Amino acid sequence: MALLEVENLQTHFRTPSGINRAVDGVSFHVNEGETLAIVGESGCGKSVTSMSLMRLIPEPPGRIAGSIRFAGKDLLKLSDREMRAIRGNDISMIFQEPMTSLNPVLTVGRQIRETLMIHQGLDKQAAEAHAIEMLTLVGIPEPKRRVREFPHQLSGGMRQRVMIAIALACSPKLLIADEPTTALDVTIQAQILKLMLDLKRRVGAAIILITHDLGVVAEIAERVMVMYAGRKVEEAPVAELFRSPRHPYTQGLLGAVPKLGSSLAGTTTRLAEIPGQVPDLRKPITGCVFAGRCALATDLCRQYAPGLEEKGPRHVAACHYAAKGAVAA
Amino acid sequence: MLSYILRRMVATLPVMAIVALFVFSLLYIAPGDPAVVIAGDQASPEDVERIRQSLGLDRPFLIQFGSWVWRILHGDLGTSIFTNLPVSTMIGQRLGPTLSLMIVTLLLTIVVAVPLGVVAAWKAGSFIDRAIMGFAVFGFSLPVFVVGYMLAYIFALELEWLPVQGYTPMTEGLWPWLENLILPAIALGCVYIALVARITRAAMLEVLQQDYIRTAKAKGLGQGGILFIHALKNAAVPIVTVIGIGIALLIGGAVVTESVFAIPGLGRLTIDAILRRDYPVIQGIVLLFSFVYVLVNLMIDITYTLVDPRIRY
Repeated sequence: MALLEVENLQTHFRTPSGINRAVDGVSFHVNEGETLAIVGESGCGKSVTSMSLMRLIPEPPGRIAGSIRFAGKDLLKLSDREMRAIRGNDISMIFQEPMTSLNPVLTVGRQIRETLMIHQGLDKQAAEAHAIEMLTLVGIPEPKRRVREFPHQLSGGMRQRVMIAIALACSPKLLIADEPTTALDVTIQAQILKLMLDLKRRVGAAIILITHDLGVVAEIAERVMVMYAGRKVEEAPVAELFRSPRHPYTQGLLGAVPKLGSSLAGTTTRLAEIPGQVPDLRKPITGCVFAGRCALATDLCRQYAPGLEEKGPRHVAACHYAAKGAVAA
Repeated sequence: MLSYILRRMVATLPVMAIVALFVFSLLYIAPGDPAVVIAGDQASPEDVERIRQSLGLDRPFLIQFGSWVWRILHGDLGTSIFTNLPVSTMIGQRLGPTLSLMIVTLLLTIVVAVPLGVVAAWKAGSFIDRAIMGFAVFGFSLPVFVVGYMLAYIFALELEWLPVQGYTPMTEGLWPWLENLILPAIALGCVYIALVARITRAAMLEVLQQDYIRTAKAKGLGQGGILFIHALKNAAVPIVTVIGIGIALLIGGAVVTESVFAIPGLGRLTIDAILRRDYPVIQGIVLLFSFVYVLVNLMIDITYTLVDPRIRY
């Protein structure tokens, strides 16, 4: 059953030079306990999508339209108070920058306690005990000492563990992780990803993972949604997507990933790049959003925007030319 | 921490010594001969000479300074030329009203200015923000005595809600004491409130952009908790600094305010002493104010460590 159903999400920002359509008509769903990855390059609207789900977009200048149904409720129709009861409780979020995402002047313990006290109605002692439990769970040594420490006394990896502890403290149904490992050392990245997966299973949460790191996607996601210029251009189960990407943009993304050890094997080739830039989202786009950068683009692409079409099992892509069900491996 | 406070206390000694030297030099820098002033209009040159000798004004500068400092270190601020009372006694009598006025003003400022600044920052660009900031400009531009007379006219003379002037010690009850201080505190606090509200707004605007505020929202915290706990504590360092610096403003403003509202405090004493060229009293008061100011600065530095755990000495 779908835990989250997003339909025709449009998040627009009013700017002095016109309306910026950061997210323009995106629909997707997340099942209970599932891990969905949203990938795309910087500025494709993946972070704005996640912020919109939490209604953390300042309005104005932003404006969110469409529908976001979570556990049967349309989040966009809730009052601020009802929305607050969901944030940090049913849906919680981990951000990219562990160095700046924790409040520097409050103790780690207080920052974990807060959500428990607001959402679960725990008193200070109970919340403190639970906070220590959470720190143990995310693998922080000496949790009893650490709860009384401040963020600047912790390393980057430790801080991201604390963020995870805060996010999971109330056992949310959905965890949104916005580039949770981008700012961390590679060795720490793997630990944090593993931790997120372990805890997700424990709590039974679904995850929306926002990333541009396809290695991470392959590792932990079950389904992938590719975004480009504020729209969804392709969606498929992870194995299917890596095996037979249909959209030229997805193919470009996969082609731009360096292969470890290729120079040793003597098979080094120039990394494929996607020429050009993301279109200006403040101007109306006719035709396919990717047409300007696509090697295969024709007049058809420049005039008519392709709709999302079934291209394989649970696999959709928005491209006039992506072959339908070509590969059946 | 304790060793830091001790070190800071020791470090204030040279500051106080320089202040003392400066204060003492006043006597020599200022025009007019104190001996002539004390002796009065009808005195003969012999009378003036006698007074000069009895006050030690004929001795060399350094010797006068040395013995003056020596006496101060023993708690003796000298004797008023005009009233013949010990300066410390005179200051002691006037300390209560001034201290009361300053504390009430300080509390009023913090209670009014900080929330105003926070709300202005939260609603930045809105009508409320512009109204608050407009009010702040207004508060800046009006001199203390204008505000004072306006308040006294409206609330004391016309509406008769509060007394026009005077002072009642706290020993006679909390309300009689406070009643006399409300209008002076508002008059004196206007500039101060404007200053602190502006700084609070600026500091909060910056803090509200930070990632941890977004985290706080994502945790489902209410607006009040986000503004007054997560944001304000981070904005506290500049605010505390300005509140501290403002105490110097208060000292200057208290002199005028006490005159407007006829409060028998140090401000009045200062003016009277200046008019009478009562040097020992002037010196005593300036020394006291300097000492208070140095102390306030120390307190500001200590407050930093309370609001921001990253600051350690």
